[in-house]
Amino acid sequence: MKYFFKNIGYFLKEVGTILRLNPLSNLLSLVSTSLMFFILAMMIAGWWISNDVVEVIQGEAEINFYYHEDLQDEEIEELVNRVMTVDGVETALLINADEAYNRMVDILGKDAEVLKHFDDNPFNSFVEVKIDIHEIDAVISTLESIPEIENIRDNREILIRLREMGGLIKRIGLLVVVAVGVATLVAIAHIIRQGVYNNKEEINTLRLLGAPEGFIAMPFILEGLLLNLAGGLLAAVMTSFALMALYSQIQGPLPFIPMPPINGLIKGLVLMLILFSGTLGIAGSFLGLINSSKKGKIKVIKAMEQKK
Amino acid sequence: MIEAKNVFLRYPDGTEALKNINLRISPGNILYITGASGSGKTSLLKLFMGIEAPTKGTLNILGESISQCSSKDIQKIRTMMGPIFQDFRLIKGRTALENVLMGMRFLRFSTRSMEEMAHDALARVGLNHKVNSMVENLSWGESQRVAIARAVVRKPSLILADEPTGNLDKENAVKMLELLSSFSSDETAIIITTHATHLIEDFLDCRHIVMEAGNLMEKGWVEGV
Repeated sequence: MKYFFKNIGYFLKEVGTILRLNPLSNLLSLVSTSLMFFILAMMIAGWWISNDVVEVIQGEAEINFYYHEDLQDEEIEELVNRVMTVDGVETALLINADEAYNRMVDILGKDAEVLKHFDDNPFNSFVEVKIDIHEIDAVISTLESIPEIENIRDNREILIRLREMGGLIKRIGLLVVVAVGVATLVAIAHIIRQGVYNNKEEINTLRLLGAPEGFIAMPFILEGLLLNLAGGLLAAVMTSFALMALYSQIQGPLPFIPMPPINGLIKGLVLMLILFSGTLGIAGSFLGLINSSKKGKIKVIKAMEQKK
Repeated sequence: MIEAKNVFLRYPDGTEALKNINLRISPGNILYITGASGSGKTSLLKLFMGIEAPTKGTLNILGESISQCSSKDIQKIRTMMGPIFQDFRLIKGRTALENVLMGMRFLRFSTRSMEEMAHDALARVGLNHKVNSMVENLSWGESQRVAIARAVVRKPSLILADEPTGNLDKENAVKMLELLSSFSSDETAIIITTHATHLIEDFLDCRHIVMEAGNLMEKGWVEGV
């Protein structure tokens, strides 16, 4: 590291020379890293969006219960307050019969005419309870033990499936991100190893002149870092355009899907891509160099033997 | 500076490259190693550069025992040497100046003094007009002189030249040996391998050893040959 600042200009110039000497190979490396980062970013975006959608839906998880008709107003109020104290209950709201009727009118729209055939309001008052989806079993079991509650409409199967889906998306997403991350790391290490191989004569000469390994490695580490940062930035641009196109396709015809705000999503992904590409660039460079370095001495000896 | 006692070198394939080498080289010495191809000249240079370690015997170079050296020690020893390779090993895509600077950047020289020293070294080998020429555009002789400038620029304690007269006619070969000898000083020893024994007869005050099938024969000083 002590040579780094003194030679920063030289190292950057060397990176330029290494890139210039193998333009096609480096261009292909840039294209492949940017595509890998693009795939990684799209995977993470998909994971992020589906996670967000599931969380929003889970946040809306609710069950309804009907109480005995003979309960007085005070008793109903007391019941609602009691339910509010149950662990896993977020809110409990009394929906009276008129409001239940109006809600159904909203849901049915033009078909609400059918309700006019009833002489009286066919709906009963009920209590709408928003719950933490992870506590569904405990909440239902507590509510079932309250004698004033006559009937619970819990959609338990749907809610449990929703909960499982959320867990599954998290696990699959994590698996895919890790798999693409590892693939990117291996590919970058290979690209750096290829760079080392392309410059093996220069590296061997520097070794014979007594250059420390850190000095020899620095241009390759910087090459890996710069190639990956450039790949990450290209991927960020491609991801932004792809997400804007995706949002315009989804939000028009499917406005009810609760997508996360696009600006926050793009900002987060760009930041993550820069951090990821920089870290993976350095890690991949080290990995590639360690692999090449093990064979370094053998290469020097073989090179000398060939001259013999 | 270099002291070899009963040194043997055997390659993994069983080839006995060096047999019972005993040699002492002091600062200020100019040593010519002659011998036919495959006689062990390059193997001896490999030992001196720390590329190989003796299979038997002790070898001390610049105060370090090669058999017991760590790779870091060997790297440190190499910074005190000025190797001139048979194929020059210049770095393509760089200028003559950049090639000369390449051997100095990791040493404790300031950027300014490094550049001054590199210009001086190139001037000393007669290449001050080719400082910014790409090495691939230089002639064979010019490339060789860049390699010499790169070797001597850092004022090494030991200059090692492997077959520097290889592709030269007699007149240019003598000039080359004269140029190399001119870098000799009280602190610097020079070791030159060559198969052209007749060339060194004109050089006085030089030691001469002959390699033959891995054996070393001290021939004494050139004036006594």
